Amino acid sequence: MLRLCLLLIVVLCACDREAPPGRDTAQTVPIGQGMGIDPDSGFARATLPRAFEFPADHGAHPAYATEWWYFTGNLHTDDDARFGYQLTLFRIGLVPGAAADDSDWRTSQIYMGHLAISDIGQGLHHSRERFSRAAVGLAGAQSDPLRVWLGPWSIDGTPGGTFPIRLKAEDNDIAIALTLERGDRPRVLQGEQGLSRKGAAPGNASYYYSHTRLPTRGEIRIADRHYRISGNSWFDREWSSSALAADQAGWDWFSLHLDDGRDLMFYRMRGKDGVAQRFSSGVLVDAEGTTHALSLDGVKSEPTRTWQDENGVAYPVAWNLSIPQHALELHIEAAFDDQVMRHTVRYWEGAVVVSGSHSGTGYLELSGYAN
Amino acid sequence: MIRRTVSPLLLRAGLRHHIRHRWQALLALVGVMMGVAVVIAVDLANAAASASFAQSASQLRGAATHRLIGSQGYLPQALYTDLFTTPGHPPMAPVISTRVRVEGLPGRFRLIGIDPLAEGSMRRDLSSAISGTDDLRIWLSRPGVAALSTSAADHLGVTIGDSLPIRHQGNPYRLEILAIGVDDSLASRDLLVTDIATAQALSGMRETISHIDLILDAAAEAWLAGRLPASARLLSVNEQTQGIVGLSAAFELNLTAMSLLAMLVGAFLIFNALSLSIVQRRNLLGRLRALGVTGAQIHHLIVAEAMALGIVGTLLGSLLGIALGQGLTTLVAATVSELYYDVPADALQLNAWSLAKGALLGLGGTVLAAWFPATQAARTAPLTTLSRAALEQSTRHRLPRLGIAGAVMMPAGLLLAFVAPGGVIAGFAGLFVVLLGAALLTPLALHLVHGALDRLPIRGVWRMAARDLDRHLSRLGTAGAALMVALAASVGVAVMVESMRSAVGEWLGDLLSADLYIASEAFDDAATLPQSIVTQAPHLAPVSAASYYRNRTLHDGNRRITLVAADLAAQSRTGFDFVAQIDGDLWQRFASGEVLISEPFARRSKLNPGDVLHLPTPAGDAGFPVAAVFRDYASEHGRVFIARPHYLAHWSDTAVNTVALFSDQGAAALLQAVSAQFATEDGLVFTAARAIYDESMAVFDRTFRITEALRLLSLLVAFVGILSALMAVQLERRKEFAVLRALGLTRWQLSQLIVVESALIGVLAALLAIPAGLLMAWVLTAAIQLRAFGWSMPFVLGATPLWSALALGTGAAVLAALYPAWRASMHDPAPQLRED
Repeated sequence: MLRLCLLLIVVLCACDREAPPGRDTAQTVPIGQGMGIDPDSGFARATLPRAFEFPADHGAHPAYATEWWYFTGNLHTDDDARFGYQLTLFRIGLVPGAAADDSDWRTSQIYMGHLAISDIGQGLHHSRERFSRAAVGLAGAQSDPLRVWLGPWSIDGTPGGTFPIRLKAEDNDIAIALTLERGDRPRVLQGEQGLSRKGAAPGNASYYYSHTRLPTRGEIRIADRHYRISGNSWFDREWSSSALAADQAGWDWFSLHLDDGRDLMFYRMRGKDGVAQRFSSGVLVDAEGTTHALSLDGVKSEPTRTWQDENGVAYPVAWNLSIPQHALELHIEAAFDDQVMRHTVRYWEGAVVVSGSHSGTGYLELSGYAN
Repeated sequence: MIRRTVSPLLLRAGLRHHIRHRWQALLALVGVMMGVAVVIAVDLANAAASASFAQSASQLRGAATHRLIGSQGYLPQALYTDLFTTPGHPPMAPVISTRVRVEGLPGRFRLIGIDPLAEGSMRRDLSSAISGTDDLRIWLSRPGVAALSTSAADHLGVTIGDSLPIRHQGNPYRLEILAIGVDDSLASRDLLVTDIATAQALSGMRETISHIDLILDAAAEAWLAGRLPASARLLSVNEQTQGIVGLSAAFELNLTAMSLLAMLVGAFLIFNALSLSIVQRRNLLGRLRALGVTGAQIHHLIVAEAMALGIVGTLLGSLLGIALGQGLTTLVAATVSELYYDVPADALQLNAWSLAKGALLGLGGTVLAAWFPATQAARTAPLTTLSRAALEQSTRHRLPRLGIAGAVMMPAGLLLAFVAPGGVIAGFAGLFVVLLGAALLTPLALHLVHGALDRLPIRGVWRMAARDLDRHLSRLGTAGAALMVALAASVGVAVMVESMRSAVGEWLGDLLSADLYIASEAFDDAATLPQSIVTQAPHLAPVSAASYYRNRTLHDGNRRITLVAADLAAQSRTGFDFVAQIDGDLWQRFASGEVLISEPFARRSKLNPGDVLHLPTPAGDAGFPVAAVFRDYASEHGRVFIARPHYLAHWSDTAVNTVALFSDQGAAALLQAVSAQFATEDGLVFTAARAIYDESMAVFDRTFRITEALRLLSLLVAFVGILSALMAVQLERRKEFAVLRALGLTRWQLSQLIVVESALIGVLAALLAIPAGLLMAWVLTAAIQLRAFGWSMPFVLGATPLWSALALGTGAAVLAALYPAWRASMHDPAPQLRED
């Protein structure tokens, strides 16, 4: 696969369509090497807030270069065996506009999928990746009902209200089959009514909305062991045609379910100097569904411990997050250290445990460290 | 100690003997050398051909362990989608494979359409080229981009960014070279790689793909088995390779057999040389025995001598074989290119196995050939200086035994060739036994001929020569047998090729009964004719009748069948030569849905008229009664003719590949009318029957050029061998000649005697070689061809092979006598007589 991986990286970076943070994972590409935004790429750009329409916006937006359906969650069995999971389907536009219609196999879109299960009790992280062109029914997305699939991996909504959503994915020795209910939280439009800015340049932004707490139940399988599990999932939707600015190295992204019923998302845009930039932002959703925007000024974030992978790359796997306005003094610690996604794009994405003023669970994504 | 081993003294005695008779030793060496050289050369050429086969197969297969193919020759692409979206599917990759022509270049190129995202670990070599472009984005999204190997780029004279005009079934298409550097094996010279979308677009394979490659373990195979539609067949890599290499295997076996034949002749020559050296040394050996040397030591000595001869001969033969292999590889490559696909001629690679095989045969053959003479020598009684007369006497005593052995071996060999199970190998084994039997009978035949000649009223030198034949049987018998085997092999192969050529020619002549054929340029299953041609052509003014053909390759298990759906005009029906048929109106039966099957297919499937043939149709297997078996050399896999209406009913396929037109006004008028009418149609060929016939026969001749080359080569070995054997015999008789001179024979008479004697051997060997050769040709055509290809052919006897064998045998024998004759006549007899 290695060559193919290189290829994909080339594809991802060659057209300067490096996706913005928040949920982009394409960071092992030489980002930060002067790759700015290419306004001439031909893809649409997120410059102004838009009027979201559902269920249409659950589907694909091929006018934009990249897009993803991103599910993470913390789950447990009745006897409290704990697991984290991630299922993400990425859409990557190769060229703007419709493909030539010379063959059913011709396409301008490919899909990449990442599946991971963190077995917290065992301290083992299992992950898989797959690719396909979006042609002859191998992969694709539709909005009503929501259906996104990549081979046998699928995200299936329910006709009418989208929820419950069923996730199905397996690859030899790991599998998930989960049902995600609507729960009681509203859909959260991130940033300015769903326009999430990631850099100073116009258009260096994404359209971004989230379902922060989806009650989840179902089954996961690791090798031949099946676990009936329940818990909460976080669903992020984002599409854009932007890339990291020249001075940006990556981002640290938190999605936390606090035990008092509040949900916290915060991403920390990291400059090459390692310092959080002003485009960092987040949102706090309280148990009643009211959202409170967070900016860099209101959030103090501090890594407290790093862990090194086999390549000597140090990931900050423990953090202190302080949000005085909301009386939050949180300590965030990886459920276990090695939750690196060793794939075409290499990043750390894993389950975390929250302690401090409030307890809870969540997911942490660390990008831009591996290059 | 001295009793057990060969002492240095003994070895020195042996060495001295060979130095004194260096001519003889040298000629024996040449025999071994030539034998080994031919075996190695053929083996190297074979290895080169199969290596390029295997390489191209494995290159295209990559890491795949299995291939999913459609019984109809293609798979619906929806099958791939179904499998790909099913949880638990194994690693797999869809492939569209087709053939295209490159504008302005002869031959066809393989074009493989792949999905790089599915390739994964499947075909790194192919996907590597695409990574070389640094742009998967273009590969996937832009129509017409292609990658090729460096050797293909050199061959085509293109570089990155160039546009390459190609034609698929006559339809023009343009490829843009995006990358160069797909796996650079020899087999990739004619390979173009594109995205699967581009391949589908240019091949017009709507909603279908050629096959799916898979990496399966046992569990995955079971997983897959339950999910396949009836029309899909799973082949393991081995089954696949069998299909690809199947045809070449028969071809290869033919070549190998020819080289072994050369080796057989070589072994005879060694046997001859060593026998002679023992006969010459009988006095020395007798004295050695008297001095206390044991029989075992003598045996060891002779075997050691043979071994030395074998080692030197093998070394020299290996060098010669490598050089010869170079030339032969070119010929093999040309044949393979003719039959299958483009193989570069410089594909020779030295491989240890070929050399080892040559060495094994060279040394083993030599030792084996020496064993009998060594045993004879070991039995030499102490001090008894066996007289020449006694020696010849004992030789004559052995004649009946040899004759009986030969007489038993010949029918045994025939039985092996015709009846025994074991395929082509058994056929060839039988052939060798037959030849060996004939060789063993040769001395007896010479003896009998002498008896006959003795009663003829001939005089002088001629009578002496006739008597000498018998007097020197111990020496001349072996030489004669060697010459006989070589000439028989030559006759046999020549007659077989001639029979085959005549059978193919006759068959083609019958088959091509129409005046003009319209076909698509590409000549494969998918190369169908535009509907307009099919409907309009029969209505052109000069056309009196038309036949329509649709060819379709079906896969049933690992059996490949060419199904021909035919709508036959009455004139076309006469083109069939039926080997077996059911009673009643055959064409009535054909029209009612019964099928005609080709002879190779009937044999392979063990089907006779009246049996039911099961064919995979899109709706599952269907049974078709067999009405008749026809002679066919078109395909060893087999062809099945079905009436077109029945084909349409089962396969719902209205396509036509070929239209055959008949006219009362002759082919030229027809061609003119057709050309004028369809001038604007691209990619069609209008061919007169005559042109197809000529082209086919040219291909046949090119294919058998290698056989011809090998025949000449084995003749050359025989020639050298005969030359050496006869020369050695005559040189050894210097003393006898001196006595004859002393008794009053003139120089001229002596020369005459030597030449006549030699010529007599040559003529007799050639005369014996003719029946033996014909027997061999019969075994080749009636047993081996049938076993290898499943087709029978009438035996055709031309005079040329017979005459040439006679001329060659006599010529070689006379040539071999010239030097000894000159030498014997020039020398003063006195010193020779004093020598002893």
